Amino acid sequence: MRIEYLNRAEAFRYMGAGTDAENKIKGELLKITEECEQALLKTLEPRYVYKVFDIIPAENGINILNTPLTLKGKDVYSHLKGCSRCVFLCVTLSAGVDKLIRAYETEGMEKALVADSLASAATEQACELAEEEIQAAVGKNYHFTWRFSPGYGDFPLDTQVELLKLIDAPKRIGVTVTDSMILIPRKSVTAVIGVSETEIPKGRRGCGSCNMKDSCKYRKNYRHCV
Amino acid sequence: MDFKTLLNEKEFVILDGAMGTVLQARGLKTGETPEILNIENPELLTDIHSEYIKAGADIIYANTFGANRYKLEKSGRSVEEIIKAGIKNAKKACDGTNVLTALDIGPIGQLLEPSGTLSFEEAYDIYKEQVLAGSEADLIVFETMTDLYELKAALLAAKENSDKPVICTMTFEENKRTFTGCSVSAMALTLEGLGADAIGINCSLGPKELYPVVEELCRMTKLPVAVKPNAGLPDPVTNAYNITEEEFALLTEKLVPLGVKLFGGCCGTKPSFISAVKNALKGKNFVKTAPLIPSACCTPSKTVVIDRPRIIGERINPTGKKRFKEALLAGDTDYILGQAVEQVKGGADILDVNVGTPGIDEKEMMKRVVKAIQSVSDVPLQLDSTDPNVLEAALRVYNGKPVVNSVNGEEKSLKSVLPLVKKYGAAVVGLCLDENGIPKTAEGRFKIAEKILNRALELGIRREDVYIDCLTLTVSAEQEAAMVTLEALERVKNELGLRTVLGVSNISFGLPDRVKISSNFLTMALTKGLDLPIINPNTESMTAAVAAFNVLKGYDENSMEYIAKYGGEGANSRVPVGETAPKSEISLSYALENGLRSEGKRITAELLKTTDPMAVINDILIPTLDKTGSEFEKGKIFLPQLILTAGAAQSCFEAIKEHYARTGEKTVSKGKIILATVKGDIHDIGKNIVKVLLENYGYEVLDLGKDVPCEKVLECAVKENIRLVGLSALMTTTLASMEETIRLLRENKVNCKIMVGGAVLTPEYAEKIGADFYAKDAKESCDIAKKVFEGIGNV
Repeated sequence: MRIEYLNRAEAFRYMGAGTDAENKIKGELLKITEECEQALLKTLEPRYVYKVFDIIPAENGINILNTPLTLKGKDVYSHLKGCSRCVFLCVTLSAGVDKLIRAYETEGMEKALVADSLASAATEQACELAEEEIQAAVGKNYHFTWRFSPGYGDFPLDTQVELLKLIDAPKRIGVTVTDSMILIPRKSVTAVIGVSETEIPKGRRGCGSCNMKDSCKYRKNYRHCV
Repeated sequence: MDFKTLLNEKEFVILDGAMGTVLQARGLKTGETPEILNIENPELLTDIHSEYIKAGADIIYANTFGANRYKLEKSGRSVEEIIKAGIKNAKKACDGTNVLTALDIGPIGQLLEPSGTLSFEEAYDIYKEQVLAGSEADLIVFETMTDLYELKAALLAAKENSDKPVICTMTFEENKRTFTGCSVSAMALTLEGLGADAIGINCSLGPKELYPVVEELCRMTKLPVAVKPNAGLPDPVTNAYNITEEEFALLTEKLVPLGVKLFGGCCGTKPSFISAVKNALKGKNFVKTAPLIPSACCTPSKTVVIDRPRIIGERINPTGKKRFKEALLAGDTDYILGQAVEQVKGGADILDVNVGTPGIDEKEMMKRVVKAIQSVSDVPLQLDSTDPNVLEAALRVYNGKPVVNSVNGEEKSLKSVLPLVKKYGAAVVGLCLDENGIPKTAEGRFKIAEKILNRALELGIRREDVYIDCLTLTVSAEQEAAMVTLEALERVKNELGLRTVLGVSNISFGLPDRVKISSNFLTMALTKGLDLPIINPNTESMTAAVAAFNVLKGYDENSMEYIAKYGGEGANSRVPVGETAPKSEISLSYALENGLRSEGKRITAELLKTTDPMAVINDILIPTLDKTGSEFEKGKIFLPQLILTAGAAQSCFEAIKEHYARTGEKTVSKGKIILATVKGDIHDIGKNIVKVLLENYGYEVLDLGKDVPCEKVLECAVKENIRLVGLSALMTTTLASMEETIRLLRENKVNCKIMVGGAVLTPEYAEKIGADFYAKDAKESCDIAKKVFEGIGNV
């Protein structure tokens, strides 16, 4: 997996630039953005690990066969509806990025903020690349749901602990989780993707399942982010 | 049989193969804790160990890899019972053989500071518990480590709580780095220094991919090298490993000429792999290599080999610097970090760190500063103190192999400092002085250098790790002394073969235009063999003297580094951001609005020559900040632009602070505010942005950092008589700590207002948990502070 450019518009949206994000990147801010982008592209080392599991619906969620894990909640249940298998995925930009952002904090918070947002955009890019590669590896004949992460809707955040363990993420890509469920390295994502033999109705990624729905700035203005 | 005898008597030492792979083949479900089986199915474990012994293993690893406090938390079993049972099962299999049982210990599973939240000291405690529980084992193995800092905590715990031999193996990727960025050389330098008995590599790759990693390791260590590769690489979909026993053995055999002594297998291997390896090694001879380990110091991601002049940055030192002393007294590590980053940008290869000043706890400050610098920079440090207790504290928490500054020829110094250097595996600067002061002659200084060297060698410190400082005296006071220093330096270098170090700037004290004298003396010293000039790397002519010397001496091949630094494109990139606007014509408010930091600072310093600081603050800085603040509220500019201005203002305030430090005036504070990211949360960018803005408005921010225990907020609020506390949380999981902190403050009747902020908060939730204010962004935090302290405005 290779990331060759960073999605600046996305990063600036994270910083609250609104819709015409790219027009606002100029002057000093443009210089900082370019500096941070170059440094990040040199530093980030995207890695991912995944495993495919057979699943079966259960009374209180979805059972992951041959493991002790049950995915709990009605949201993950409906996400995986009609799927016979699921992919557990963890993606990370690796530890160097965290250190780079910390170093920027000593130079100025504007750099740290820009770098942090660019890194978040890069994480999203890495996830998309990982998804493409996984879909190709699992097989073209299958259908896939979008990425559903612990913490979305009523899907418990602490599912991350078991999920990381099952795919051996600490050992394979160096991702761990703290007691407060923060992934380390910070720019990391865990997710569940459903795999089905039959076509999956295109469920929209709506606000209902987002854990930011109560405090989201976009929603307050009757807009949404995707 | 013990480990040492085993190494001496056997041509090769055979280790066992994977435990997890075999357990899974026998029905262990993915995600289950394998160590529980030590108690629930001891026969199964003894059986597997026996198979490995039958296959030819000389050392077997007990099933204790994940048996730590943290991983066993929910198992209902204690570390002690799991480890004792694990070792008992292994010992049972060893009965009647010469096979040794290793206490096997893997990573804790939580990342250490600064990336994670686990402190070095907590990690040490976790490992200590395992080491003590494993007292029945014959040796200790730490394996699959990716974080050198964690491994240092582990190795110290082993060495300080047992007398067993220790094997340390780490896990590398194909780029010859671990996940946390640790290099092979840093691993070797650090672990050999800390007293590991064998080091090596396990897991992640197969024997073929590990070849270049092993090759580098064998070049960097004199210790026995252990290798436990995986059975090739796993298939991403099926997770099956891709090489057979025969291929594994064949590829393993290829590692013999590199000098590997101990062989085994990791993930995907089973007893048949070990017997294949055993067979393949039959009749082969161990290849004893004699690598030359260079003089070097390191952090996990950066090794500095002293094979040519390297610059030691001298700026982190309060001697003669009022602003620095003030920062230390105020506990302002940001200022010190700024100095660190600036010196590295200037070209420092190593940073000297000295925080000794009256009125502070030097030991605590040293620990804090070392950890803080290492969290943002990968340049090795030279730990500088006259107090051995401070040195030991710093040596303990340092990540990598540092330099100690310093020991001298006095008996007291030799006795207290050198054992520390040995224990923690550092390099050391030896000063050519003793009870009688600094010898006047080169011969006298040479004799002291020789004495220091001999004492170091007696303790087992390597010759390559002793750097001698022949001491620079002030040439305006003693003119002949300059040549004495250089003569002594030359002799130490040539006759003792040691690396040399010299604080250069002292030479020109008392003379006009000092840098002319200093840089010429520096060049003279370099030609006599100076390896480590201690200078201010941001003094251009000093750094340039080193760069030029490296070209002329042929160290800088094809002048590449010189050209990169002083040539066309590189020269442009050296101009800091913000220096491009025309110098003289811009106003301070223009500099602020456009985020021009260095311009802002320069203009402020100019203004202060003629204008009262308070006038600069009230007439220019605050109105400009207010203006951008209101533009931000109206949505005309967005967050990074607001912070750009705030950051530029910060540099203006730094100019004012420097002015105050010079004139001895006191900074006027509008009031003290506590800021903290609550317990469990480590997202602190938002909090730090709030800090910059509040400081701009003249508030004194007591920044308690991230992951702050509730009690610490309470304690500080009471002690400092605080009127406003700001708490930040970014996770739904950490809102509980926020609520708890508020509850604690209220329960103890602390008379303060509390403002809260963070992405997952809502005004309703803020009210529910008892906060006085909800701050939707950094700008609003300032409005709240104004309201609380000055009764101005509505929030």
